[in-house]
Amino acid sequence: MSLISMLKLKGLAKPAMVAIGVAAIGVTSALAQAASGDPVTIGVSGPLTGQNAQYGAQWKKGFDLALEEVNGRGGVQGRPLQYVFEDSQADPRQTVAIAQKFVSDPKIVVEVGDFSSTASMAASSIYQRAGLVQFGFTNSHPNFTKGGDFIWSNSVSQADEQPRLAKYAADLGFKHLAVLYLNTDWGRASQNIFSEAAKADAMEIVASEGYQPDEKDFRSTLVRVRDAKPDAIILISYYADGALITRQIRSVGLTTPIVASGSIYSPKFIELAGDAGNGVFTESNFFPGDNRPEVQNFVAKFRAKYNEEPDDFNAVAYDTIILLAAVIDKYGVDRTAIRDGLAQIKDVPSVIYGKATFDPQTRRVAGARAVYLVVKNGAFTLWDGKKPSAS
Amino acid sequence: MAPLLEMRGLTRRFGGVTAVKTLDLVVEEGELVSLIGPNGAGKTTAFNMISGLDQPNEGEIVFAGRPIHRLAPEAIAALGLARTFQHGRVFANLSVEDNVLLGAHTRLRAVRPRAPLLDGVFELALALIRPPAVEREEAALKAEVREILRLFGDRLISRVHDAAYTLSYANRRRIEIARALALRPRLLLLDEPTAGMNPTETAEMQALIAGLKAQGMTILLIEHKLEMVMNLSNRIYVLDDGVKIAEGSPEGVRNDPAVVEAYLGHSEVGRGARSLEAITS
Amino acid sequence: MSSFIDYTVNGLVIGNIYALLAVGLALIFGVANLINFAHGSVYTLGAYIGWAAIVFLHTPLPVTMLIVFIGCALVGIVIERIGLRPLQGKARIAPLLATIGISFVLDQLVQLAFSPDPRAVPNDLPDWRLTIGGGSIGAMDLLIAGVGLVSAALLYIFLRFTKLGSAVRATAQDREAALQMGVNVNAVNSAVFAIASALGGVSGLLVGMYYNHIDPAMSFQATLKGVVAQVIGGVGNVPGAIVGSLLLGLVESYGIALLGTTYRNLFAFVLLIIFLLWLPNGLFGGRSTIQTEPLVGSFIAPSRPLRLPRWSVWAATLAAFALPFATSAPYLLQTLTNAWLAALLALSLTLIAGTAGQISFGQAALMAIGGYASALLAVDLGAPPVLSVPAAGLTAAALGTLLVFPAFRLRGHYIAIATLAIGEIVSLVILNWESLTRGAMGITGIPPLSLFGRDLDSNRAIYWLCLAIVVALGLLQTRLLSSHLGRTLRAVREDEIAARCYGVRLDRYKALAFAFGAFGAGLSGAITAHLYSYLNNQTFDSQLSLLALTMVILGGMGNVLGAIAGAILLVGLPELFRIAAEYRILIYGVVLLALIRFRPQGLLGAV
Repeated sequence: MSLISMLKLKGLAKPAMVAIGVAAIGVTSALAQAASGDPVTIGVSGPLTGQNAQYGAQWKKGFDLALEEVNGRGGVQGRPLQYVFEDSQADPRQTVAIAQKFVSDPKIVVEVGDFSSTASMAASSIYQRAGLVQFGFTNSHPNFTKGGDFIWSNSVSQADEQPRLAKYAADLGFKHLAVLYLNTDWGRASQNIFSEAAKADAMEIVASEGYQPDEKDFRSTLVRVRDAKPDAIILISYYADGALITRQIRSVGLTTPIVASGSIYSPKFIELAGDAGNGVFTESNFFPGDNRPEVQNFVAKFRAKYNEEPDDFNAVAYDTIILLAAVIDKYGVDRTAIRDGLAQIKDVPSVIYGKATFDPQTRRVAGARAVYLVVKNGAFTLWDGKKPSAS
Repeated sequence: MAPLLEMRGLTRRFGGVTAVKTLDLVVEEGELVSLIGPNGAGKTTAFNMISGLDQPNEGEIVFAGRPIHRLAPEAIAALGLARTFQHGRVFANLSVEDNVLLGAHTRLRAVRPRAPLLDGVFELALALIRPPAVEREEAALKAEVREILRLFGDRLISRVHDAAYTLSYANRRRIEIARALALRPRLLLLDEPTAGMNPTETAEMQALIAGLKAQGMTILLIEHKLEMVMNLSNRIYVLDDGVKIAEGSPEGVRNDPAVVEAYLGHSEVGRGARSLEAITS
Repeated sequence: MSSFIDYTVNGLVIGNIYALLAVGLALIFGVANLINFAHGSVYTLGAYIGWAAIVFLHTPLPVTMLIVFIGCALVGIVIERIGLRPLQGKARIAPLLATIGISFVLDQLVQLAFSPDPRAVPNDLPDWRLTIGGGSIGAMDLLIAGVGLVSAALLYIFLRFTKLGSAVRATAQDREAALQMGVNVNAVNSAVFAIASALGGVSGLLVGMYYNHIDPAMSFQATLKGVVAQVIGGVGNVPGAIVGSLLLGLVESYGIALLGTTYRNLFAFVLLIIFLLWLPNGLFGGRSTIQTEPLVGSFIAPSRPLRLPRWSVWAATLAAFALPFATSAPYLLQTLTNAWLAALLALSLTLIAGTAGQISFGQAALMAIGGYASALLAVDLGAPPVLSVPAAGLTAAALGTLLVFPAFRLRGHYIAIATLAIGEIVSLVILNWESLTRGAMGITGIPPLSLFGRDLDSNRAIYWLCLAIVVALGLLQTRLLSSHLGRTLRAVREDEIAARCYGVRLDRYKALAFAFGAFGAGLSGAITAHLYSYLNNQTFDSQLSLLALTMVILGGMGNVLGAIAGAILLVGLPELFRIAAEYRILIYGVVLLALIRFRPQGLLGAV
């Protein structure tokens, strides 16, 4: 007589089945909690040394936090997820070499990076030809994803970001804008889009000044700006140069309101700008004060691990790992399957997007959420909707 | 017959100092003329003006009937004027052979075509392609260089492929002269060719220069070693403080009181002397 | 009108800041006859020492300045003692490159210690501002001006009226003679470096406080502007450095007023070129009189080149061609392809700087011209790469030579400065001439290389193409070197005066050398553009020019095989060092220093 029939006789079959089932699930999930086996490797191409090294460092913080979480709940398909970070210095010569390395290493299932669009685009053809997804999560150049169907990005395209900035300026009641922009591929493209959007919102660009990344002194630039009589100054900058300009605007005595693009959003902006930063308007796709659970979750964990406030770069890096982990977990470790998975996956929890879904045509994510912010008392706070009085 | 080289009223000022004052000088074809005088007398300055490295403030220099005082050194070299330098200027990292071959630069025709505007391109092309005419010219030139080096006995020929900086000072001065000869100059300017040489080397150099003179070379010589000057020169000019204080045959100059005075005034204070030899030997 | 006053005030303010740097540079330039590229690094170091003192020790400003002063003086002494003194008597290019190596090392150390993130520097100066016209100056402006003027005045007095000062000036005039006179030349050099570095460090601190921003990448721009200010004022001239700085600040300010911010550096570098060409001694340098004959006529270290047996070279070449058959590791092939492209650059520079003796710091600009020429021909006119690439080479040859032509009358380190400036100008023109070059956005969609209608998209094909071009150019260059033209170029390098006296027209031969070299560099740039399918003004930057020079030194100046070897080692090794990613530049700088110190003629010897 079999065990089952014995149990059936005793009327214990059903509860026994359930008990065994539960026990089985319990055991397997206990096993699954510790992700085990061969790790799945993500190849990261980014700056660890050189001009942009600080961004590479920010990335790592985001990656590491995300990995802790992913591997803590069993990794991807039961295997631990890890990354290998190759220093490219955001130099196209090196990204190309790294690309070759990654595509020929079968352990690498997907690539992440590089920092600047220039550096990434130099290597795109290699990734495309070899069929390894290049996930340029900070590459917002409009042409980046046009490199092929293996080129993806969850970075907010400037095509989405800048019109939002323009709208903020319009909502604040400004009409005559002086634009200061970083004269790089990112800044120039952004400035173009911003200007178009601003004009569409019935605002006038009275001055437009491009500056170099290593520029420190803006005083004469500000004389030009002042002479154009703007009612707001728009900054299309990163946090370091944005802070420099902001301080100088105030120290030369200009009280014109400043509206800065979300790329300045970082605690470092506050630190570097000091008191001058108060009153600066900006918007961000990522704001720790945002009540959404994904955001709060991330912020709390980041603070706990690193004892500092996260910024945009940390957030997108974190998001990227979570996103890729979800794709790999669902669609497997095959490179082409990952590409296909990116096109198919829906509603991945995202700090930036809430729920991220890719548009297979553009290979980007639409619908980044943004909040309007203003700096008050040395901290970023949500805009309360009050228009600034005429200065 | 017109002199090969003539300077008329040549004057050169540097700020407040007049290095050369209204110098008149003539060198006939086939002569060896010496230019002597105490240090700072303006001799090398005169050489610099003749060879085009410097321009006079006043006056003119005529070489083979052509005024050359406003010409660049390259053009003057092409007219057949070669010089050596007071401290010796060989091309240190070039071989002995290459040094001397450079001397012939102005004479090259096959590898340096004369054409308006594009001659640089042609020169580059010829350097890369090297048609037979170019090869022949180079071979002929190398043979000629050997001939010139043989004038110096075994010294330079045996080291012909060594870099010039590896040779002794005396040899380097010889290379300089060989280089000047490779130009096949009509006029050879020698600036203290025996400076720093010991008596044996000086005697050799003197013999060499005498040999060149015997072959009809026109030479303008700056020298301090008066015995050599007396032995070699047809005529001598004496400069002091930029001014010509005497000129004439060796005997005439030797006993000229103004000359003795000039040297006496610059050295050997307190020693009575009646002739140049007495002071300088 | 009031705006004019504002621009003037602003110009003086920024000039004030430049002056602090320029004074230290002038001192070193004047005494050691050396552009100290490490000065900017000491400036950066000073800023960080100051930051550390304020943040950890909470020192008040005067004490902080003192700490920085002493700390950087010590650094200066160390630099002189370890980096530069052993190079006395070596080729003049050696100390120049040593300072570049030192700057790599210092910048990397700062970055490793402090991370690359910019930091704020708290300052406790009073907050008042003085309104002038539409703008204002504050306490920090006055402090900087004060420090600048006081240090210049003190230096002036020191140099003119003290014994050590006279010793410094004597050494600057004639080191050998000073030595004979019993001057302790070593002590003098130490003192000079100490003072100059101390000044540099303090200026770093003050400027960092001024902008509330310090980061490890501040060095290069700082050095560059300091050099410009110096040339304007008269190299080595301390009061001149101040005037030059103020003038530079004004020109930049007016330039911005006229054309906009993005033209600022263009004005600075064009001003530099104008001075180099027409007033090379600067405003206060006095007019130079007849050039006295130097005692020796050579710029590079006398050395014997290593003669590798012919067969070994051919064997290595064959092996290189055969490599893709033995292994298809794309990473290796890609790295070597990068090396071949770098070798083209190295070949071009080894001819220009090594054979013809014209030290050029602007080779990257030639690559940029080539890259853009080919890209624009391909993208705008639809030309196939097989036409556009050679055309780009010719464009780089013609345009590059034309641009550098006015600088031919310059000697030694002036050529280096001029070519650096011309390189920056080319980059800035590319940035600003948006209608032609798309400016910062760059040119996208550059078609891949193709031959006879077929795209070359395999690693192997590209590898072979680049290798073939390197071999062809190497052979041509070798042939050139053994011709009379090669001989003439080397004579130009060795002794310009003697060369002229033997009929060698300097301008013409320098132009030929540049044109031939620029062709190779242009080809390299063009091929790169097609490989990356995208380029912008940052693709070929000044770092590349410095890399080129280092490859050439490593291989041996003028040495064709050396240039190729240098490229393989300097492009291949960093890939090997990928393991020690964060220490790579540091190791690189140390290797450079070691080379300069122990084997300046390079691995294969200068030719």
